[in-house]
Amino acid sequence: MAGRTAVRAGAALVAAGLLAALAGAPLVELARIAAERGWRAAFDALGSAQNLGALRNTLIVGCAVTAVAVACGAAAALAVERRPLRERRLLRLAVAAPLLTPEFVLGFSWSRAYGPAGFTDRYLHVQLPGLLGPTGIIVALSAHALPLAYLVVAASLATRPVGQLERAAHASGAGTLTVLRTITLPLLRTPLLAAAALVFVTCVNSFAIPEVLGTPAGFSTMSTLVYDDLNLSADPDAFRQLAAVALTMAALVLVVIGAADVVLGGPQTAEAAGRVTSTPSAVARRSRTATWTPRVLVTAFALFAAAIPLVVLAADAITRAPGLSPAPSHWTLANFSAAMAGETVPALARSLALAAAAAVLIPAMSLAVVATGPRVRGPLGTAVTLAYAIPGSALAVGVLIAYGRWFVGSALIILIAYAGKLWALGHRPVAAAAARLDPALTRAARASGAGPLTAWRAATLPGLAPALAAGGALVLIFASHELTMSSILYGPGTQTLAVVVLNQQQLGQTGPTSALALVLGIPPLLAGLALAHGRRTAAAANATSRRPTTAAIPVTAGTA
Amino acid sequence: MNRATEPDAAAGALECRGLAVGRGSVPVVEDIELSVSKGGLLAVLGASGSGKTTLLDTIAGFIPPLRGEVRLGGRLASDPQRCEPPEHRSVGVVFQHYALWPHMSVLDIVGYPVRRAGRGRSEARAQAASLLERLSVGALAHRRPAELSGGEQQRVALARALARRPALFLFDEPTAHLDAPLRAVVLDEVARHRAESGAAAVYATHDAAEALAIADLVAVVDRGRLVQVGPPLAVYQCPADLPTALLTGPACVLDAAARPLTDGTAEVTIGGATALVACAADDFGSQPAPRLLVRPDWVALDGPFDAVAARVRFRGPHTDYALDTPAGRLDLRVTGPPRHAVGDRLTWSLSRIWPLPGPASAAEAPPTGADVFPTETPADIVQ
Repeated sequence: MAGRTAVRAGAALVAAGLLAALAGAPLVELARIAAERGWRAAFDALGSAQNLGALRNTLIVGCAVTAVAVACGAAAALAVERRPLRERRLLRLAVAAPLLTPEFVLGFSWSRAYGPAGFTDRYLHVQLPGLLGPTGIIVALSAHALPLAYLVVAASLATRPVGQLERAAHASGAGTLTVLRTITLPLLRTPLLAAAALVFVTCVNSFAIPEVLGTPAGFSTMSTLVYDDLNLSADPDAFRQLAAVALTMAALVLVVIGAADVVLGGPQTAEAAGRVTSTPSAVARRSRTATWTPRVLVTAFALFAAAIPLVVLAADAITRAPGLSPAPSHWTLANFSAAMAGETVPALARSLALAAAAAVLIPAMSLAVVATGPRVRGPLGTAVTLAYAIPGSALAVGVLIAYGRWFVGSALIILIAYAGKLWALGHRPVAAAAARLDPALTRAARASGAGPLTAWRAATLPGLAPALAAGGALVLIFASHELTMSSILYGPGTQTLAVVVLNQQQLGQTGPTSALALVLGIPPLLAGLALAHGRRTAAAANATSRRPTTAAIPVTAGTA
Repeated sequence: MNRATEPDAAAGALECRGLAVGRGSVPVVEDIELSVSKGGLLAVLGASGSGKTTLLDTIAGFIPPLRGEVRLGGRLASDPQRCEPPEHRSVGVVFQHYALWPHMSVLDIVGYPVRRAGRGRSEARAQAASLLERLSVGALAHRRPAELSGGEQQRVALARALARRPALFLFDEPTAHLDAPLRAVVLDEVARHRAESGAAAVYATHDAAEALAIADLVAVVDRGRLVQVGPPLAVYQCPADLPTALLTGPACVLDAAARPLTDGTAEVTIGGATALVACAADDFGSQPAPRLLVRPDWVALDGPFDAVAARVRFRGPHTDYALDTPAGRLDLRVTGPPRHAVGDRLTWSLSRIWPLPGPASAAEAPPTGADVFPTETPADIVQ
């Protein structure tokens, strides 16, 4: 037993050290730089009209998107999750498509499809009013974040017999609206709050959509402000101001998450997981409207939010010059060859190498957290999740201040930021699998004559392996198209693919940008769909086993 | 507590005519003809997966039928065109897993149907409190479902159904998750409240003893079809076929010559010995040697027939024997400690038989060698 204690203590030390280095040190450094001239000066710097405007814009966008995405996502989950299994799977993938599309690709393809001189403008003479500006940012980010809310609510619906509980209310004399008000919504309070927190974090973190849709209209959020400030000035005063903005961003998100956590920590989380039974999903009163409304709305959403913009992007990419119709006579591959010139291929290789390194590193780090034993695992996991909540721009500036001097001209600094930010993505599946592991399995191995290490390898590791792989795959997908942090941390010769695409877009090269955006966007989409499929198969295999309590599982659900 | 709104006072509480229900267009339940009179209790007996829950869901109004109709109190409630929603039916449902709302206190759960009937919060709570008091769980009023034991949850679910004051109760295996002593308590409560309120009830269960004990009428369901409807004694003594016989209690099948007599007895010959036994059937059809159904309580030790004791198990108040007879394996249960050891030659007698209709087929033969009494313990296996 002494050996086990030593292993646990060592693992706890490693995990806590990593957390301190990857999330703690950047935040401390941010605070140190921001307050170099005293907190009063920091507050004054923050009070400039530009900074206050960005703060206000961030709050407006965050709140509006949270309201829209949570309301629509929850409504979609309630409608779709009651459909028969086969249809449900298809509709789920359709809902998830805009989330699987990288944020930059989504924003850029929207501007090409629905913006001025875009596809609908040219052929139908319609534009999405206000696409460039706050309205467009809110609509596009809502489409991007709606699947997050959907997945959180759907995960909670899957672990509770909500259908049964609603039937009981009907049988007690309640009509449809009364059931929604008195049963369904109160039951979903926890996932709805978790979804709101997750969507808000995503909005504050979001950089690409505000940059692509907001900057042309002079509308800046905190993340675009940090990016612009960093690009424009090397003056130490401006840098202090930048650190203050980044720190405010982190504080904003952590306050919101903290508040949500306090509310979620109430009596609701103490509630039992509910009896999850294999009762067949309710084939409730089938009306034609109930059958067709979700189908039509979800299909329309997937078409409008992901399919049409991506098709327009593809058409742009293979057309010789912007403005030409995508007829076969105008087709060319020149955009692709132009796009692949210069920095692109090395940047692509760099992105893949960084993503692969993060995908190996992060599961190993998660293993360290899991190895700390059941009591320490929980708080450490919470800390890892909180690190995810730190907006990418703020974390990147912090990492730059803390470690910049040692990694001049090296892409490793980007890897440090990835490891801190994306840790939660890799950690959640592993933590869930560890919670599901039956400790009796290891004991049975020990009782059959295995030593501690052999028992761990024989009984624990196989149980964690699929989750480690899933976590690694998630990290790989997200790291390969990450933009927010790499756009702040890159230097000459250390661009990532996403940074190259952004720079090209800012130079106004529509064709090559479309071509590269396709390269950037299609693999994550396909990989995400494949992963969703794999998870489903795994879930089907585990259908009979117990599920863990799903109080608030924002991060995994958000990236499934 | 009958509702005064029923249009036809002479109509039964529930009638199902030609009912077929399914998921998609494939019927799960078909050709259901049932009627329950006011104050009657119908037990729907069937193995799990036989369609009991689907049938109850249809009666409650959760699923529209594919064909046929459901009438409640003489009024048409469901047919393929029109399905009155459950909240407009006078039904009280006790769900298999109780379906207690985790975000409410027990008091609010039981008061919920009262609130939906248009009463205020305080009146609903007062009625709920008195109902809980009557079920002797008044002390639980301020707890949440997660803080209740299985039996307590069961009573709260029952209280919620009672608070609806329905004309028809629907019980979906409410005792499936309870242990034996608690079942008895719950069954007593059901019986008492039905007697008080005069409401009818449909009680779905897979437990033959439970169905026979509480029902006025037992409907046996097998793979979505009604195989037999009758009073408990008739279903037990004269099952429609072998699967029904096995569903309604322990049973063995003997291959023996039997000749029906007109006075309600039959002449049975086994291994050279002949005896007169009770038999409700006076015509065995054209078969010369039908299969004879024998319940364990129709057999006694000592009598005209010979056998060897193949297995003897002491079970406390009684002893179970398995006998190898010339006509096949036979089980019987005798009060008191064992009187014979395995391998002993002994004699036995028969008080009643029931000839099974239809030809013998391997598929529906009872598992030979296995014990018809359901409690198999690890000790038995080691033995």
